[in-house]
Amino acid sequence: MNKLAVIITSPPSSNLSVTAIEYIEAALALQIEIVGIFFYQDGVLHANTFVEVPTDEYQAQAKWLALKNEFNLSLHLCVTAASKRGLQVDETNSVEPQSSNVADAFEISGLGELVELTNYADRVIQF
Amino acid sequence: MTTLHLVRQSAFNSQELFQCSQIILPADILVLIDDGCYNLNHTLLTNIKNIISVKNIKVIQHHVSARGLNVPEFIEVISMNELVNLTFDTENVITWQ
Amino acid sequence: MTKKTLAIINSKAPYSFNHGKDSLDIALIFGSYEQGISLFFQGDGVFQLTPNQDGEQLSLKDYLKTFSAFEFYDIEDIYVCLESLHERSLTSSFHIENVKVLPAREFAHELKQHKHILRF
Repeated sequence: MNKLAVIITSPPSSNLSVTAIEYIEAALALQIEIVGIFFYQDGVLHANTFVEVPTDEYQAQAKWLALKNEFNLSLHLCVTAASKRGLQVDETNSVEPQSSNVADAFEISGLGELVELTNYADRVIQF
Repeated sequence: MTTLHLVRQSAFNSQELFQCSQIILPADILVLIDDGCYNLNHTLLTNIKNIISVKNIKVIQHHVSARGLNVPEFIEVISMNELVNLTFDTENVITWQ
Repeated sequence: MTKKTLAIINSKAPYSFNHGKDSLDIALIFGSYEQGISLFFQGDGVFQLTPNQDGEQLSLKDYLKTFSAFEFYDIEDIYVCLESLHERSLTSSFHIENVKVLPAREFAHELKQHKHILRF
């Protein structure tokens, strides 16, 4: 089976994310095994629950959640990139967990996870 | 050894296609996606045609039709599924964005 | 032939974008996990290697100084595109040692030897 890892470096405010999601959907339809999706640079903003997109525009975060639910995709968030961009990722420090603005579907990870993914995947594609 | 090059930016605006043209090798494949579709009539694409076979230059169907662009007849139009297959038919991928 | 895990193409000048630092962080992690990683500098990325820079004058943490630790992390394959230097009237003078300057074609051949390629 072909194993794919995807690295998302484009923010949800860019229409480039639509292409990434289309590509991932196509890969899943072709029975490609997606070993993980790693969000880096402005890509981490996909996890921000405070991002509000008008309802008649493309809902990237809802798409990620749906993909996670349907295919159990691992959505890894680079902790350093996320903290720098206002995502509250310090779990030890969250007295009120509901105040976190990281969508539940995303896992807090570090660049070590990227090492794992690149080792395990047959192909890595960056969007 | 084949590399798949995905160009996502217009060369009328930025350097991605130029840098891709510098290092693309004869066995490689080029796919224009997103704003990379605007490169269909860029002179750099002519340079690339001198390096790789014309049949190895492709464009994503709905990315080009959404932009109302005409595709020169020598360029193959492909689907997203075909792009996924190309990813696994080649050895590695470079995204130029 | 054993392929190295990762190649990173650095394409941006060092100060106005964070791409150089983001790429460096990946390189150091791969180095510390003893994973094969090579760095390629093309386009304005070559400005990450030119001498006499001082990011602190811009109130920026000078991450370029960390490049001198590459040897310590076993990051030994560092390639620069000769054409990118020529376009910018730069010579092969860099702030770190053991940089290999290659014409674009050879640069591309080295790049292809990697399992995965990222570009920042």
